[in-house]
Amino acid sequence: MWKDLSDLLWQAYEQFGFLPLFIQIALIFIGLAILATLVAYGSILFRRWQGYVYEKRVNFITPKIEDMITEQVLLNEQLGSVPVDDIEFDPVPLSDKIYKKPWVRQIVIDVLIQYRKNFRGEVGDLLRKLYIDMGLPKDSFDKMKTLKWERKIKAVMELTQMDIPISDVTILPLTNSQNPSLRAAARNAYIQLSKNDPFKFFDIATEPLLPWDQLDMFRIITTTKDIQIPNFSRWVSYSTNKSVVSFCLKLIAHYDQKSAIPAVMDLLNNKDHYFRADAITCLGKLSAEMAEVRLVKIYDHQPLICQIEILRAVGQIASGKYLEFLKHEFSYSSNFDIRMNAARAIINHDSDESRVIVNELMNTTYEENRIIIKHCLNPLIK
Amino acid sequence: MFHWLNWGDVMYFLSGFFEATVYTYGVILLLLYAMLAILSFTNIRLYQKKDSYTDYKVIVGSPLAPGVSVIAPAFNEGLTIIDNVRSLLTFDYPKYEVIIINDGSTDDTLEKVVREFSLEKTDFAYNEKIKTKEVRGIYKSTDEAYAKLIIVDKENGKAKADATNAGINASSFPYFLCTDVDCILHEQTLQRLVRPAMEDETKRVIAVGATLRIANSCEIENGVITKINAPRPFLARFQEMEYIRAFVLGKMGWSLINAVPNVSGGLGMFDKEIVIKAGGYDPASFGEDMELMMRMNRYCYDNKIPSAIRYIPTTLCWTEGPTSLKVFMRQRTRWGRGLYQLMLAHRKMFMNPKYGIVGMVVFPYNFLFELMAPVVEFLGIIYYILLIVYGQVNWPYAIILLIFVYTYSIAISTLAILWDHINAKYYNNIWDVLRVSSMVLIEMLFYHPLIVVFALRGYFFQMINKTHTWGNMQRKGFQKKGAPKPAAA
Repeated sequence: MWKDLSDLLWQAYEQFGFLPLFIQIALIFIGLAILATLVAYGSILFRRWQGYVYEKRVNFITPKIEDMITEQVLLNEQLGSVPVDDIEFDPVPLSDKIYKKPWVRQIVIDVLIQYRKNFRGEVGDLLRKLYIDMGLPKDSFDKMKTLKWERKIKAVMELTQMDIPISDVTILPLTNSQNPSLRAAARNAYIQLSKNDPFKFFDIATEPLLPWDQLDMFRIITTTKDIQIPNFSRWVSYSTNKSVVSFCLKLIAHYDQKSAIPAVMDLLNNKDHYFRADAITCLGKLSAEMAEVRLVKIYDHQPLICQIEILRAVGQIASGKYLEFLKHEFSYSSNFDIRMNAARAIINHDSDESRVIVNELMNTTYEENRIIIKHCLNPLIK
Repeated sequence: MFHWLNWGDVMYFLSGFFEATVYTYGVILLLLYAMLAILSFTNIRLYQKKDSYTDYKVIVGSPLAPGVSVIAPAFNEGLTIIDNVRSLLTFDYPKYEVIIINDGSTDDTLEKVVREFSLEKTDFAYNEKIKTKEVRGIYKSTDEAYAKLIIVDKENGKAKADATNAGINASSFPYFLCTDVDCILHEQTLQRLVRPAMEDETKRVIAVGATLRIANSCEIENGVITKINAPRPFLARFQEMEYIRAFVLGKMGWSLINAVPNVSGGLGMFDKEIVIKAGGYDPASFGEDMELMMRMNRYCYDNKIPSAIRYIPTTLCWTEGPTSLKVFMRQRTRWGRGLYQLMLAHRKMFMNPKYGIVGMVVFPYNFLFELMAPVVEFLGIIYYILLIVYGQVNWPYAIILLIFVYTYSIAISTLAILWDHINAKYYNNIWDVLRVSSMVLIEMLFYHPLIVVFALRGYFFQMINKTHTWGNMQRKGFQKKGAPKPAAA
């Protein structure tokens, strides 16, 4: 059978030029498909082998690097008695040929970053000095010069982790890169590295600050030591970048910047209702009593999403002045979510007056509303 | 009558037309697969690059993380429900709730969870935004450790869709994750699925899916996968290969051009607001997941909401694949019915520019190359048989064409396995890779004909409107590490 088949294929090869076009195409594709299959199998095997070899190399070299770091940094006798900048490392282990190899140097950088995440203070500074003395910043800066965005991100992250300054000329353009990932990494780096004005890029940000990127930026801003926290209302008032404004609203709420309340209230006139909802949420979190009257006043003209945020905000402000408004919404709204949020807002007041209203409603309202109140009062349901 | 017609000429014309049509159809299909292979590779590499420097722990500690409700319907799952619920409570995510819907189980599913998790019936304000069968009660735990758990007890709705809708009604977060209670999910599922929804610059991401794999033969401990093995049973292994091709090559490819047709019912995260506005899952549909996606797309286009459906290549869900032919037939027949039903219900979207890429690409592709493929194949076989009977087959050419189709399908499937391998090394053992990839060689002979027949069976049942009985999946349960193997009967 195989002989017949090979004869057939041989004949096909000889007569290829005389064959109909569709058979010619089919034969070419058979060849390509067999080649693709073989390459695919080969690639699977090669990748597995490559992974195995890399793992073996890493397992071999990592303990050596860790020993070197322990010896040079963690057990350094000069640590504590000599200023970090004046500490000299033992040149012999550092001049080992193995540290000339690019893949080893990359592992050294990765290990140093891991160590620096765990050590602060003088040990952290000495780790940084080791990174500099081994000439590793050059490796990182070289990566920044490549065209590959993922390599640039790696470089930016390495330099940031090692607290190596990057000039504004280099980093600022990246904060507005068309590539969202590079943009996010550059922005995070700028906040961490800029000593004077870490939020300068907010002024020039034309590209959006995506919700996913906000997570990391929020963490960096709220956990980085010695960072100058500005009044974020500045960007709420002047930035034309909606995502920057939205992010600033979250920061205003987090830092409880009550001075920003007037600027946030200005956003209540914005045409974008999602934006208005963000502003209302911020006012609620700030417990902005001065905004309460305005919120209640605009309530009737707002879409559902903003109405719900207003009810929540009134519940958070909890001045007690608008309990009747909440009671009215709870009693007469036909919308379930409105009633639920109105009930929650009344209960959130946690005052004698609010408790009287809750009792009154429990006795007078209809079954569905009673369940809503019980739902909101039940500690098991959050 | 018709004496003026020369039947020989007519038959000659018809056969020529049929051959040309089928040839064109086949060539387009093969080119589409080649295109998908390129698109999926590009998308996987992009995902990998992004993933290489992403620290998912950031979201775990963030107050800005969006809330996600995990919704899992359960029907007569008394045997495994405790492990299943425990597994769903292990997500590494800061803001989520787990909603189990007891869909009128006739066994002790409810009693078991009530006892195990110290549940009590609460005055839960249930808002029926989507109409469902009556909800009998909603339970919450008195134990703070299970504060994230909600059990919705309802009357049986004879469909997963009805139960899921009840879960959506009881949920409180803007996103929900739809899964099956017996699926095993990765602990990072929520953080990984939320990401695409949070990083689209211009579109509202209405659904996100991830790769599913077959859990048969994997080692599982306390509802967590401890070792991934390629399935040993043949039928399950075929499905593993099919899933890799469908998710890693197909859906990742479509995702790059925002043309994902469907997010699997086994694992998908959805934008709750859009789902509710689109009317929720349709309990009357046999392919409720794909049907919902169509309606969500339709809603977004009708309301001019730029939307996207995204897929990620990482395997986040393991499900038990049917190992008996009977159960497999029932599953695939139902899928066939669902596809037929869907195409008919949304036929107005076909080549309708109003629906953008969905109307011009997703719908036509699914109609021509998913719905019609079994029909074309079946007609092709009949035609082939007729040609053989009449001695009209040019055997050398026929064999070359068969080899062409065979080698091409092997190449595409092997590339899918390679792409999967590039994304992550799921199998520690090379033999597992070979076990799965060897299925590619015999798929055309054994597995593919079954799929064609079962799909046609589904179309036929739908055409004659045959009453569907919801069969039990008859799960065998998962292999527990160190557990003794059951004795042979």
